[in-house]
Amino acid sequence: MWRVAPAGDRALLITIGTVIDPALLAEVLALDRALQDRQPAGLLGTVPAYGSLLCHYDAGVTDAARLEESIRQLEGKVEYSIPSGTIVDIPTRYDGPDLPEVALKTNLTPAGVLEQHAGREYLVYCVGFAPGFTYCGAVDQLDVPRMASPRLRVPAGSVGIAGRQTGIYGVESPGGWNLIGRTALRLFDPTADPPVRFKPGDRLRFVPIR
Amino acid sequence: MIDVIDGGRWTTIQDRGRPCLERFGIPPGGAADWFAARVANELVGNLPEAAMFECTATGPTLRFDVDRIVAVTGGQVDSAADWQAVRVARGSSLAIGTIAPGLRTYVAVRGGIDVPVVLGSRSFCQLGTFGGGFGRPLAAGDRLPVGQMVGHEPLPEPWPPSHRLPLRGPWEVRVIAGPQTDAFAGDALGRLSATACRVTPEIDRMGLRLETPGLRLPSEEILTVPMTAGAIQVTPSGGLIVLHVDHQTTGGYPVIATVINADLPLLAQARPGDTVRLRAVDMEEAARAWRRMSGWLELDL
Repeated sequence: MWRVAPAGDRALLITIGTVIDPALLAEVLALDRALQDRQPAGLLGTVPAYGSLLCHYDAGVTDAARLEESIRQLEGKVEYSIPSGTIVDIPTRYDGPDLPEVALKTNLTPAGVLEQHAGREYLVYCVGFAPGFTYCGAVDQLDVPRMASPRLRVPAGSVGIAGRQTGIYGVESPGGWNLIGRTALRLFDPTADPPVRFKPGDRLRFVPIR
Repeated sequence: MIDVIDGGRWTTIQDRGRPCLERFGIPPGGAADWFAARVANELVGNLPEAAMFECTATGPTLRFDVDRIVAVTGGQVDSAADWQAVRVARGSSLAIGTIAPGLRTYVAVRGGIDVPVVLGSRSFCQLGTFGGGFGRPLAAGDRLPVGQMVGHEPLPEPWPPSHRLPLRGPWEVRVIAGPQTDAFAGDALGRLSATACRVTPEIDRMGLRLETPGLRLPSEEILTVPMTAGAIQVTPSGGLIVLHVDHQTTGGYPVIATVINADLPLLAQARPGDTVRLRAVDMEEAARAWRRMSGWLELDL
């Protein structure tokens, strides 16, 4: 059963699930597409992330109850399949400042961390927090808590891990992920259309470079 | 052109922001006190989407190279243009100075500030360091062009004090429960509403950190979800972070309640040490609050 809850007086949050799961993301993205196709009255825009979808609405055109009703009509009816698009290579220099610490915490050598992290496929679950920040799927072998005190400045392109997840910073920003490497690939460009390199459902792979 | 003689503490160009780009990680932004900004445009006869100066704590000094109509709204300053449209003569300067009570003051110039549009808005975005003309707050030496985003004649009268929001606390801020109210045991929102929250020095356009003296709500991280302006996150240490217009687009702390749109301007004017009380309301009351302020803006002066 989808949970629909108000996020203030002009948005609804639809929660389909609360775990990291490719099928859950696929259902969220399918609902997102279905709403964009149907254009319920007053729906202004949507924001997908992992197992949930935020729906902004124009309170002058519709209200929470009416919008929820049109969303509920889609429950159990959206067809979805696990994303299977092209895999994009991310050239990555594994020289992040936290690589030794991550190795220590995971009982691996730095080379072992690289081996676990690179060469496998990742699913993009969300682009959020800051412009272009790309949240990717989990690596069970690399379960490292977020840093106790976040850095004030993390450079754009930094590749970090936190709580089994991998993320790539789209812009220079504060951040608490353990930095293991960096890519020169530009993930956010305000003059481009779209302004970000990835979207939820995309697949990518880190390729070590020297 | 407008010459910036002194940038002030943190002066940026803002308009109505860039809504609905959050799926790219881009916050909606725009004027933190949307009401004061809207009134400033109204006073000088601008279209609602015209860009203006948003000043914080200490405003800038600006010099005009031709006669201009300006209006100053929001946090109080010592200016002839305070909540009214006035003419500033060619070659003269407008010094905004110290803002009190309130924290943010808006300076609208008839025609609007015509910096380049980036992703649909002229607003400076701090998280992405783009927009606002320079991708940063204004500094001495900056020059800003004035546009032609004019909709009507300037208003001849000052904006009536009866149609303004309070500028000093204690603040009563109305909230809608959720979306993650169920992440908290018992009547957590009831207990929070009974608590006089205190504004800490950690406040900016991204959000305000509040202390809850005498109350510690247990909270655990949740799977990352989309966030909105006004979302009241409860952190594992028990404090609150109320997200504002330049908010992170997603977050992993549960949101116990969300500030209604009509009351977001109050949080733009709150200062460290101020008291904030939350009051849970239903959608009906939120809609009434919105209609009341919209009514103010349709004044026929």
